[in-house]
Amino acid sequence: MTGSRPLALVLVEMILLVLLGPLVTGAIQKMKARLQCRQGAGVLQPYRDLAKLFRKGTVQADTASGLFPLIPVLVLAATVAAGALVPVVRMGPPAFPLGDALMLLGLLALARFLTAVGALDAGGAFGGMGASREMTVAPLVEPVLMMVVFSTAVVAGTTELGALASSRGASWLLAWGAADFLGFAAMLVVLPAETGRIPVDNPDTHLELTMLHEGMLLEHSGPGLGCMLLASHTRQIVTLGLVSALFFPAGPWGGAGAAGLLFGAGSFAAKVLVLAIYLALVESSYAKLRLFRVPQYLGVGFVCAFMALALRIL
Amino acid sequence: MYHWRAVDLGSGPNLVAACYGAGALSSLLARWSGRLALGVGHLAALAGAVAGLGVSLGVLLGPPGRTLVQPLPILFPFARLSLAVDGLSAYFLLVISLVAVAAAVYGPAYLRAHSPDAGAARQAAQVFALNVFLGSMALVCCAGDALTFLLSWEGMTLASYVLVVSDDRDGEHARAGLLYMVMAHGGTALLLIAFLTLTERAGAFDFAALRTAAGGLDGTTRTALFFLAFGGFAVKAGVVPLHVWLPRAHPAAPSHVSALMSGVMLKVAIYGILRFAFDLLAPVGGPLPSSWGWAVLFVGTTSAVLGVLYALQQHDLKRLLAFHSENIGINLIGIGLAMMLWRREEAGGALATVALTAALLHTMNHAAFKGLLFLGAGSVLCRTHIRNIEELGGLARRMPWTAGLFLLGAVAISALPPLNGFVSEWLTFQALLGGARRFHGPEGLGIVFAAAMLALTGGLAAACFAKAFGVTFLGRPRSPHAEHATEAPRSMIAGMAWLAAVCVALGVAPGYAMRLLDGPTAGLLDGPGASAVVTARGPLVLSTALTPVGTEATAISMTMVAALFIAVAAMAWVLRRGWRCAPLRTAPTWTCGMSPTARFDYTATAFAKPLRLVFAALYHPRREVTRETAGTPYVVRRIHYAGEIVDLAETQLYHRVEREISALAQTIRARSTGRIYGYIGLVLGTLFAALLLLGLVYG
Repeated sequence: MTGSRPLALVLVEMILLVLLGPLVTGAIQKMKARLQCRQGAGVLQPYRDLAKLFRKGTVQADTASGLFPLIPVLVLAATVAAGALVPVVRMGPPAFPLGDALMLLGLLALARFLTAVGALDAGGAFGGMGASREMTVAPLVEPVLMMVVFSTAVVAGTTELGALASSRGASWLLAWGAADFLGFAAMLVVLPAETGRIPVDNPDTHLELTMLHEGMLLEHSGPGLGCMLLASHTRQIVTLGLVSALFFPAGPWGGAGAAGLLFGAGSFAAKVLVLAIYLALVESSYAKLRLFRVPQYLGVGFVCAFMALALRIL
Repeated sequence: MYHWRAVDLGSGPNLVAACYGAGALSSLLARWSGRLALGVGHLAALAGAVAGLGVSLGVLLGPPGRTLVQPLPILFPFARLSLAVDGLSAYFLLVISLVAVAAAVYGPAYLRAHSPDAGAARQAAQVFALNVFLGSMALVCCAGDALTFLLSWEGMTLASYVLVVSDDRDGEHARAGLLYMVMAHGGTALLLIAFLTLTERAGAFDFAALRTAAGGLDGTTRTALFFLAFGGFAVKAGVVPLHVWLPRAHPAAPSHVSALMSGVMLKVAIYGILRFAFDLLAPVGGPLPSSWGWAVLFVGTTSAVLGVLYALQQHDLKRLLAFHSENIGINLIGIGLAMMLWRREEAGGALATVALTAALLHTMNHAAFKGLLFLGAGSVLCRTHIRNIEELGGLARRMPWTAGLFLLGAVAISALPPLNGFVSEWLTFQALLGGARRFHGPEGLGIVFAAAMLALTGGLAAACFAKAFGVTFLGRPRSPHAEHATEAPRSMIAGMAWLAAVCVALGVAPGYAMRLLDGPTAGLLDGPGASAVVTARGPLVLSTALTPVGTEATAISMTMVAALFIAVAAMAWVLRRGWRCAPLRTAPTWTCGMSPTARFDYTATAFAKPLRLVFAALYHPRREVTRETAGTPYVVRRIHYAGEIVDLAETQLYHRVEREISALAQTIRARSTGRIYGYIGLVLGTLFAALLLLGLVYG
């Protein structure tokens, strides 16, 4: 089996994802603002925030251990490494095997685990609260994501994302069956949870009643906070990339040559944009759920994912 | 590949036994000096462990299919005892020896530091029992006949019992020991029935004769024997609902013994299951009855989920670790799947090999990270003498090495890349997916459900260890003991570092370990070895064929991902330093304007509360809050909070049985007269009835 994506392309795609991550967040913020009849900040605002944070100094809690400054580095590294596993401009397996969808979810889980550990380091109640809630939601989200992956992998015979995407062929939309619709529905349910958005989490607030992910970032500052924010932008675009690889692969139109690559990049941007619009719409039209309602909400996703998988097996 | 020619391996197993025997003997002889007994006994244990490593590597890396057979001295006139080390035995000997090395290095300093005022006799007894424990575990795995197996099995139970009750003389340890004894012997009784049925048919004790005898069994007897043996081993493996002794007995033992009991002794039970299912009882040339695989898969799935759910709500560090028998569940999922798939695949399929490889690799992985975590907990315990994590905290600043190594173990056990726990879980998932493709219909659905539960287990384990590590090592110290803790002695850190190195090596370069798995997988399944299937594309790549060879497969490279991770981390570190390299300031944590104290830290109870409420149906949580107010309800002087959860198996199953037994005992007590001839008459009557029954059956 020789791959169709050389290692250099994989690395370029990874860097592309990291660079474009903040843009997706900015676009969602802008759309949300317009939906709420506000002007809102420009789509480039996340870049400005990052640039400012990386120029600042660091204030660290006096109770924090030697692990604390390492946390943002490791979290960012795990998230970015996960980005290397998503096919962006061209489908097909990489020339040298790197990792599959399970590895991607594992790396994202590692980033989340380290974030939660870092939140407990400063010894404040807010960090612990955020970590506790995040680690409550995560075990309920991960099985759903895995089952959605399995429901497509059972047909393709592989969990490698590039190979999985290319195995769906050109006519993916016409070939969608009930299992695909159910799996996609499950994905739409858990997508706000995985990207830390309403109705599960609220990215805009530091109010302790509503926050999950933001609570864990409270004690980070300066470049460290910048790394954490960059990691969450990357996480978001990686998750969207996972969805598009599983459900809307570009197909063989993204052939070899510069035109094919351009087409692949364009279609990827379009897919991410569609999913971003979905996120913005959900965020603007729903209220945040109470924490103890979240398991029921995610339960809908679990049932959809399990049904999708069961339909494939039976 | 090279072969081990220079050393004659033939007498290797005896050498291992001799080392442990010498350790036991010398610690008894040196019982007048605790220091000497600790030193000599652990040194001998280390020698035994290193010899065990040598023997097992020699067999595993040597020519395929090799079995070392070594007769033992004749102890009984009716049976010839022998040791036989084939691939499976050697692999489990390797697992035992890996952890034994760490325990032998860690032990002396731990026992001295943990209980400095212990008498020399007690220390000598502990080292004696440790050597007997290690030796009998090695002998169980190397046994070539039923009698050696059962005797070593009993030696393992008794030695570990001594270790469980050795640390303290209070009632709790004694009760834990008693429960352990009762449960273990219940299991041994089942094993005895299974073994004796076979030996009675074979007329001999050695495994070769048993195999021949099992060939002539009919299906029902075969299945009955398997379930007897599975029940016996399941008690030792601590699967739910037979796990109640685990969280009591494991924490009671000295920590390096806890590491051995939890990391290794449970694996000996896994060895027994594999030996019985795939070797002794396997039908000649045919697949295993499908009920076996289903039962093992079901029990494995249940144990995996319930084990981690109960672990999540424990706040005693060693109890929490002991509850993490969920990894045995993951093992059993792999084994059950291998049982279902074996000889049921279309030609060219190697899924059973993948499933068995996953289970075996997880055995070694679990031994490494569970051992590491227990040793880490032991370091905390010997420096603070506190097991309740609510009273710890802030230890990462005081014990940086212990904290770092514990974190490594926590990442590994949570099955997160790039460490070893992820590798075996990945293989298990791949095998499950392949199994789901192979079996359509209800079977496939069951397998898929196991996969979903395994995914849930991984997430819950991460939550559990974020809590365990965060509350123990981070934040502020919440007791004077934690405040004044210092780093553990060097030899203890060395013991932990050894296991941590195993975790990293098996995580980053698992392909190289696959050759060790060739012997057991090829030997048990009569098919291609692990390395031919999983590392078909070179040692850097793990690949599995979900479909028969020739079609698309999944491949990952742990090494490449780890390299990528490190490279990105290096770049992120540059970013983290910032463009201006502005100075770092420290300031107190913001606590809404109040002066920060340790009471602001998030506690373990609070951390686990959301999940306690989400899974309330399983926990039946109970809480009691009493407020002491000053006249008006708005001025609260103090709040007392007490909360607990119940173990469903314990309340629904064990307490009922206990009540029934007590009621029965009361009834008998009312009838019993206390006159000796009454009892003698009863005994005679029973004997007569038994003989009559025997005569009727065989006459």
